[in-house]
Amino acid sequence: MNMNRRQFFKVCSAGLTGSSIAVMGFSPTAALAEVRTFKLARATETRNICPYCSVSCGVLIYSTGDKSKNSQSEIIHIEGDPDNPVNRGTLCPKGAGLRDMIQSKDRLKWPEVREAGSSEWKRISWNEALDRIAKHMKADRDANFIAQNADGLTVNRWPTMGALVSSASSNEAGYLTVKTLRGLGVTALDTQARI
Amino acid sequence: MQSQPIDFHPPSEEAAPYLLPAADVFAGRARRFEHLACDHSLAEWLRFLARLSQAQHDALKAIPEFPLPEAQARELARNHGMPPLNLGERPAVWRDALRQMLAALDDETLPEGARATLTGLQTADDSRLEKLAATLLEGEISADLAGELPFIAAALQVTYTGMALRLDPASLQKLDAPAVCPCCGSPAVASVVRLGAAINNLRYLHCSLCNTEWNVPRATCTTCEDDKEIALHELEGTAGKNAGAVRAETCDACKSYLKIVYQDKDPNVDPVADDLATLALDMLVDEAGYERSGPNLLLIGAYSG
Repeated sequence: MNMNRRQFFKVCSAGLTGSSIAVMGFSPTAALAEVRTFKLARATETRNICPYCSVSCGVLIYSTGDKSKNSQSEIIHIEGDPDNPVNRGTLCPKGAGLRDMIQSKDRLKWPEVREAGSSEWKRISWNEALDRIAKHMKADRDANFIAQNADGLTVNRWPTMGALVSSASSNEAGYLTVKTLRGLGVTALDTQARI
Repeated sequence: MQSQPIDFHPPSEEAAPYLLPAADVFAGRARRFEHLACDHSLAEWLRFLARLSQAQHDALKAIPEFPLPEAQARELARNHGMPPLNLGERPAVWRDALRQMLAALDDETLPEGARATLTGLQTADDSRLEKLAATLLEGEISADLAGELPFIAAALQVTYTGMALRLDPASLQKLDAPAVCPCCGSPAVASVVRLGAAINNLRYLHCSLCNTEWNVPRATCTTCEDDKEIALHELEGTAGKNAGAVRAETCDACKSYLKIVYQDKDPNVDPVADDLATLALDMLVDEAGYERSGPNLLLIGAYSG
């Protein structure tokens, strides 16, 4: 009986009795019986970028659970990505604690608002949050917009609004951010990725 | 006072893309097999493999110089993106290595099957041995050679390791196929995640024949280079000697797997020995529907007919 290249690589329980082990006179029986006492534990391994600072270190994330509906995925370990040329597998103390940040019970997962005069934080929807922010921005811009300076020169500035953009933004997101905010007259615009 | 320039960026050591085998690779493997054999369900076989590895070490030391292919042939291979060592042109000295190992291994403590195989090989003529070597390296083999081929493989490992040892790592180049050895073109037996200053936590594939290692990115399939569907499997509930140090890296894009061993879990881990001490992992991953992408040449014919 001939085996092709794929079979040559294969190791399966049914084949152990015809393998080198048995042919040479060593008994595979105990090893075969033992297989049923084991179970496979599975974890996925994924690349990502640390969200904290401008360095943007590469990380490897390990999580349990497959993508099936009934299983809950959980991140079990995060470490520096040794193949990433920026951090070469290292992480700072903050980055090394990423898993705790992700799983922190205090982590903010939805928009909340504390109304003027209230001491309570109240959960609101994303739509409501965006509407509120837009209204605040409009009111502030209407109140403080400078169309012309003292010399009568057109400047179109909105000096009371500032924006700090995340270092995890892509080039494209950065381009859109500048177009939008400069279009509104924002001058105080910066990104975390600018060291 | 004279000012002194400060070098804010001292040159850091670059990670080596290729690690040629160490001269004591087989001795380390022998110790590892011996260590793994304690309380193992395949203890006797693993102890035998420890003796085989020690015999490999002795043969590697006894043969003064393994002849490399001509410089011209290596240059030609390099220019055409081929590995420098050619599996088709074996130096005849491999048969000396084999005969020395067979003589060292033959004693009464071996089971009958192994002794019969040893005797058969010791009396075999050169042409029969060459035929066996060609069969093994071409990978289209007959299951009734499961006894002989591990010995043939062991001698060829000694020979190609001896040749690889003499190469200059700077003369190696990245091949188009990332899954084969840049030294001899053989498939990898497993990957190993190394400890060390510049190479810390980097993953290297370990050649099934010449023990050369070459760097490939982690969290990436070594067969199809997909990085979206990689998972790691390990045996749950084993308090074994190498618990946690051996995992199977599976890829759902191409349904293949290869084992990966971690030096940070066990610094003495050996890609060949730890692979054979965790056959249960192979069997379970095989049942889960993944195909192994590289052979361990010391175990032949472990497939179902």
